[in-house]
Amino acid sequence: MGMVHARSMDPVPMHGRDLGVHPDDLEVVEAQQETKKEVLENKDIVVQHVSIEGLGRTKEDYLGYEIADVFNAKNLIDVMKKSHEARMKLLRLGIFKEVQVLIDISEGDDALPNGLDVTFEVAEMKRVTGSYNTMVGNNEGSMVLGVKLPNMFGRGEKLTFQFSYGTKETSYGLSFFKPQPGYYERNLALNLYKVTGQFPWSSLKETDRGVSTELNFPLWMTDHTLKWEGVWRELSCLARSASFAVREESGHTLKSALSHTMTIDTRNSAILPRKGALLRINQELAGYTGGDTSFLKEDFELQLNKPFLWGSVLSASLWGGMIFPIGGQPVSIADRFYLGGPTSVRGFGMYCIGPQSEGDYLGGDAYWAGGLHLYTPLPFRTTRGGFADLFRTHFFLNAGNLCNLNYGEGPHAHLQKLAECIRWSYGAGIILRLGNIARLELNYCIPMGVQSGDRICDGVQFGAGIRFL
Amino acid sequence: MSLAAEAFVSQIAAAEPWPENAMLYQPLREDQILLSDCASSLAVQAYLRMLGLPVRVHCRANAEYMSPSGKVPFIHVGNQVVSELGPIVQFTRAKGHSLSDGLDDVQRAEMKAYMELVNNMLLTAELYIQWCDENTAAEITRPRYSSPYSWPLNHILAYQKQWEVRRKMNAIGWAGKSLEQVYEDVSQCCQALSQRLGTQPFFFNKQPTELDALVFGHLFTILTTRLTTDELSEKVKSYSNLLSFCRRIEQTYFESQDRDSQSGASDYSKGPSLM
Repeated sequence: MGMVHARSMDPVPMHGRDLGVHPDDLEVVEAQQETKKEVLENKDIVVQHVSIEGLGRTKEDYLGYEIADVFNAKNLIDVMKKSHEARMKLLRLGIFKEVQVLIDISEGDDALPNGLDVTFEVAEMKRVTGSYNTMVGNNEGSMVLGVKLPNMFGRGEKLTFQFSYGTKETSYGLSFFKPQPGYYERNLALNLYKVTGQFPWSSLKETDRGVSTELNFPLWMTDHTLKWEGVWRELSCLARSASFAVREESGHTLKSALSHTMTIDTRNSAILPRKGALLRINQELAGYTGGDTSFLKEDFELQLNKPFLWGSVLSASLWGGMIFPIGGQPVSIADRFYLGGPTSVRGFGMYCIGPQSEGDYLGGDAYWAGGLHLYTPLPFRTTRGGFADLFRTHFFLNAGNLCNLNYGEGPHAHLQKLAECIRWSYGAGIILRLGNIARLELNYCIPMGVQSGDRICDGVQFGAGIRFL
Repeated sequence: MSLAAEAFVSQIAAAEPWPENAMLYQPLREDQILLSDCASSLAVQAYLRMLGLPVRVHCRANAEYMSPSGKVPFIHVGNQVVSELGPIVQFTRAKGHSLSDGLDDVQRAEMKAYMELVNNMLLTAELYIQWCDENTAAEITRPRYSSPYSWPLNHILAYQKQWEVRRKMNAIGWAGKSLEQVYEDVSQCCQALSQRLGTQPFFFNKQPTELDALVFGHLFTILTTRLTTDELSEKVKSYSNLLSFCRRIEQTYFESQDRDSQSGASDYSKGPSLM
């Protein structure tokens, strides 16, 4: 029986300095190497020790959960598989730069003849890391400077500070993140932030200063987020020429809101999916926990994708939402829904659908929007993969409506109101995927069902977005 | 908006007559408005009444933030928004309504000087007493100023405003003054006004001007507002011609007009009477 030194699937040069064995006795096994499988997989082994080397501030008990499964391995292939899984788990924690796995036969007095020791050699991240990057959001770009303190107290806690200077807004945020030991998806986040946003479609400027607490946890197939947010909002006119309806909304409000989001996402990619579905349901109750803003807001998003002929994808999406004021107080312009733009109802200006006053869009109490898309790969492409895979062409049909509701009327009247004066548009365009977070679209749009007051974009429309219809 | 565009808009505005639905916005009358804002608002109301221009007073908790200059009161006429007495005087003049057209250049310069005196002395003294006298600030100013907001925003906004006013006082050199010195300044200002007024009905003889509106706004508000002590109103009360000046304007422009129009309640925002 030989000694075995496995390195999982990492192509880093191996070094046997801690092994105390002759290099002649070593046998290197690559996990994917199927040829050795017959020889090794039937040999029963026992994992006697699993240890982690290279820990500085990280507490060992925090990592125990991640690597415990290695003990259950019954044969060598199993050990390597489980070690690899454990390695991925350790890397996912975001506290190590590098993780290497060493598998060795057990040594010492209590060593069994078929005993194995697994050692994870880790390199911790620095206490403080800085970053600099640029971001693209809904029709704007910004420069972000960040300071990160990963693994602050040794159990995966992360403190992040971000300062962003953008084309339209300047903001900062401080956030603290704490995962549950052994259950990374279940985590708690505390945030403190200041965000300034300018909304030219409403001639509105909003400065938010707030704190929020967020609890994330998976439940069966779904991901849930429970959140409390306390935010001091300051609204002001962007220009002296702002409409009086917007001017009337100026001033300070305090919103304290509880919200819950449920997400099911089976898509294979968030930006250019080929298959799968997304359902997101969000509800927000403001005013129950204090503040001077009271409403109940319901919002959903559904997207279905199906592979179609010749590598094309058929996609359908539906959005909808409604906001109910509580206590007779009208809903603030900052809480209402907006619709339209290059990634929602295409062919209409950014958030330029629905109620408006002197050219300033005031948002609505209810909305819905739907889209049908046929995505196809770029024509005449020569190879799969590569640069061309970032692009798609698409043909689309979008429709939607946004309006205010009279709450004296029943649900039937509401539905009728949303079915009247539907805006819709169709066209074709090219999409560029930016990383896995955003996309750029260049479309030729033909808007239809235009109502007076809507701002349209007849012809070529360009835009970027994270959320898209 | 560019300067040229703004000038163009004001030209257009000048061409339009004064509408019936002009509005004046000020903070909430009962619970929120402060002495200084109340005085400024009353001055504008008196000015518009002297011109015979109708305006409806609207009280809004966020009036200060709605105002383009961040100061109350402001008027909404047609689609124009103008704040504070100075710009409002210019705005009405552009529309062809003015109180000071009958004055010669010397008188106009004198009027402007006295208006500056009132703004620099009375208004600043009001702000000082409201925000820099800790008694008044704690008992009256901060609770009133923050009354529309919920915890903890009420404290944040009140202290933010107090800090802002104190910084301004620092800048103009009032921070080192004691309350007694401020009362003395008010007294001197009143003496100057009293001497200028003499026995005339208005500052420039028979016809009221914007100076009369401004002085009335401040003195009347000081006389009718309860503070922690009566000291401020006592200073004004020792000048009998100023007292009768206030009564005269109140009677001529507020009481009689309201009797005539029979619609007093909605247009009337002067607060308690001197009688």
